[in-house]
Amino acid sequence: MTTALTLDGVRKLYGAKAAVDRVSLTLEAGKITCLLGPSGCGKSTLLRLIAGLEPLDGGTVSTDHILSGPRSHLPPEKRDIGFVFQDYALFPHMSVEDNVAFGLKRLSPAERQKRALLQLQRVHLADRAKAFPQALSGGEQQRIALARALAREPALVLLDEPFSGLDAHLKAGVRDATLEALRQAGTAALIVTHDAEEALMMADHLALMDQGQILQTGTPQACYRHPVSLAAARLLGPANPIDLLVKDGKADTVLGSLDAPGLTDGTAMAIVRPEALTLTADGTPALVLANRFAGAESWIKLRIGGLDLEARMVTRASPVVDSQVFITLDHSACTVTRA
Amino acid sequence: MTDLAVPLHGARPARPSALRIGAWLAAGLAILPLLAIVWLALTRPSATAMPLSLILRYGLTTAALGSLTAVAVTVLGTSAAWLVVMYRFPGRSLFSWALALPLAAPAFALAYGYADLLDVAGPIRTALRASFGSDFWPMEIRSLPGAAFVLSMAFYPYVYLTARSAFISQSVCALEASRTLGSTPWETLTRVALPLARPAIIAGTALALMEVFADYGAVSFLGVQTLTTGVVRAWSVYGAPGSAARLSLLLLAVAAMLLWLERSGRQGQSFGANSARWRPLEPKPLKGWASLGASLFCLSLISFGLLIPAGWLAYRALSAAPEADRLIQAAMTSFSLAGMGALVTVTLAALIAFGAPHSHRIKRLASLGYATPGAVMAVGLLAPASLIWRGAGSGGSQTVALALGLLILAYAARLMASALGPIEAGLARVTPSMDRASRTLGETENGTLRRVHIPIAKGALWTATLLVFVDVLKELPATLILRPFNFDTLAVLADRYASDERLAQAAWPTLLIVLTASLPIIILSRKIMQSRPGE
Repeated sequence: MTTALTLDGVRKLYGAKAAVDRVSLTLEAGKITCLLGPSGCGKSTLLRLIAGLEPLDGGTVSTDHILSGPRSHLPPEKRDIGFVFQDYALFPHMSVEDNVAFGLKRLSPAERQKRALLQLQRVHLADRAKAFPQALSGGEQQRIALARALAREPALVLLDEPFSGLDAHLKAGVRDATLEALRQAGTAALIVTHDAEEALMMADHLALMDQGQILQTGTPQACYRHPVSLAAARLLGPANPIDLLVKDGKADTVLGSLDAPGLTDGTAMAIVRPEALTLTADGTPALVLANRFAGAESWIKLRIGGLDLEARMVTRASPVVDSQVFITLDHSACTVTRA
Repeated sequence: MTDLAVPLHGARPARPSALRIGAWLAAGLAILPLLAIVWLALTRPSATAMPLSLILRYGLTTAALGSLTAVAVTVLGTSAAWLVVMYRFPGRSLFSWALALPLAAPAFALAYGYADLLDVAGPIRTALRASFGSDFWPMEIRSLPGAAFVLSMAFYPYVYLTARSAFISQSVCALEASRTLGSTPWETLTRVALPLARPAIIAGTALALMEVFADYGAVSFLGVQTLTTGVVRAWSVYGAPGSAARLSLLLLAVAAMLLWLERSGRQGQSFGANSARWRPLEPKPLKGWASLGASLFCLSLISFGLLIPAGWLAYRALSAAPEADRLIQAAMTSFSLAGMGALVTVTLAALIAFGAPHSHRIKRLASLGYATPGAVMAVGLLAPASLIWRGAGSGGSQTVALALGLLILAYAARLMASALGPIEAGLARVTPSMDRASRTLGETENGTLRRVHIPIAKGALWTATLLVFVDVLKELPATLILRPFNFDTLAVLADRYASDERLAQAAWPTLLIVLTASLPIIILSRKIMQSRPGE
């Protein structure tokens, strides 16, 4: 694995508040990393720090040399880092082609045009080269912004909420086109998003961020199945917390005993995904509190021995409210952490 | 205009760039004359001081003139804007830009026209006497109400333009909501539309009042003694720069207040954009008498504001052959001064817009100059000017050049803010992320300026140049005070003829100004009409 970029203890303060608080992260060449967090958690600020658009207050950003550090700040134009902005930031006074060629001023005009057209072909918009940005749809503008950022063949490209401005029915298509273009370019990419599904579907690596800090990094599967905390778990989807006691690497719950490898004895928390609860004939008895039909699945609220849990399941016969059902816990979709 | 809420961190590094220093210098130039006034007022005791009672009378007259004009321009400008935005009637699309046309005429042009037209010996009162045997004309034009009438006609377009853009930016949703909640159209106007547009209307009235207080040519010709004529008299009659400076301080205080009003009005303009769903207003057709009335109202504003006085002046001008040499000389002087003034002013304003896009302090300094009457600006530059004249005697070409430099500085200090407005509006199309995009695409800060900011603001820079050109062309008091000896612009020439009661001669340079200014004003007002919110 080659490292495209390393963040080490990066801090950014706005007044007394740390918008980015000691963030360390490694981006691998050719891989897509998604940075997921709620709005205002500092993820966009982190992107601007990486691009050199803001000076940082601590830590370092480095490739094989230091880009931002305590005493050095390489200006953004010297960093070889592409940026796709949330509002795309296309230049309204230039044609699509000139927008894409904007960063290629060192090349000859002919070479510049060739390169711009190549990029436009990669995002399937070569036929719009002479158009002006205002005449394009949102999805087309997004792809132009991507082509423009990739035209300089940067080692790393940063994408700030690249699909947030698009209508729901466009998103899937543009997302696939973006992934394809990024893979083709072979560049490292860091995509900021607040959409869990988007992050899970796109990422090779996932970084979960909240209140300026990275909560967890890992593959999407690992982050989803084995969250390190309730906050990290909830960034990726609903989760039921169950307080419990660990004794000898085991923890007892109303739904049976759970493995708690590596945890010392004491209080802990089981984090149970809604889909870990399934209806079986021989499970633990539970009272149905509420039942919401949601298409392929149903959301069911259950009470099991004084504990309220939310379940999500595919059922043919929907359980009736106030009736009793029997529940089994799928151990692969829950994890025990030190609370 | 648009203050972007997102500060542009880092793209402008902590170290002040050359551009930012330039911006501070430009703003410094704008307030230099104002500082000089304070210094003059405090340090120069004048032996031939103006009597206090005189100053008091000037102040009261100015206050009365301001109040009358404020009411008139607010009512006229707002009604015209409401009609043009909300209703469909014959001539509406023509009126919507032509209502701004009186801006092409300096106020003194209207004063000359009306004073002559309504004079005891003028055509109207002569005709009245001939038909009825007696002259029962109710209003003397050379009076305070007369001056208020003239200035209202000259300056209502300021309110019209701001009120119009405020009404246009209102979403029909708010108005329809008001109707479904049981309000009649009239109640909708008074309870929703007017309160929404109030900040903009106040801003427009404040702009008009700035012009009223700055006016010298019209009021002095109509024999109304205001603070501004007082400033000029203190300098020219009493030869007392200290007194002039102390009067100027009063005017500066008023200017600062108006500026505050205008600022708070402008901040409130974001009212209209709050509505999540913006739908344009669909003007309602007027029928019968109502439609005729609306057309007549708009037509009479344009007539009283421009067509009648300018037409009468043209008629008078044709009765006398112009003194061609003086006229041509003055025209050349005017055009080159206006050209140079526009160039310098727009360059300085661009420095501020590009170099300090988010510094409110710098812009506030620059706009203080805009609220300052030209006469006051000139008095502020008198100290350096008199040094120059004393140092080199009169007539040396170097002296003339230096004096012209001061005059252009006075224009720049006064008009920088009016050039800044359109430039900033143009630059509002450059979002912070465009700036950042350019940087991450390998452009330096200066390269970004060259390849992104300037091309996007190009149209706005031309607009600003035209605006300043027209304003310099119409400018009188500062030119009168600061110009080198025997250096006449068209406005100065008109003033000299008019004060000799040679009105036919005065009409020639006046009309030249109106004609020259008309083209830019037509271009600008049509351009404003085409723009819609969100563009």
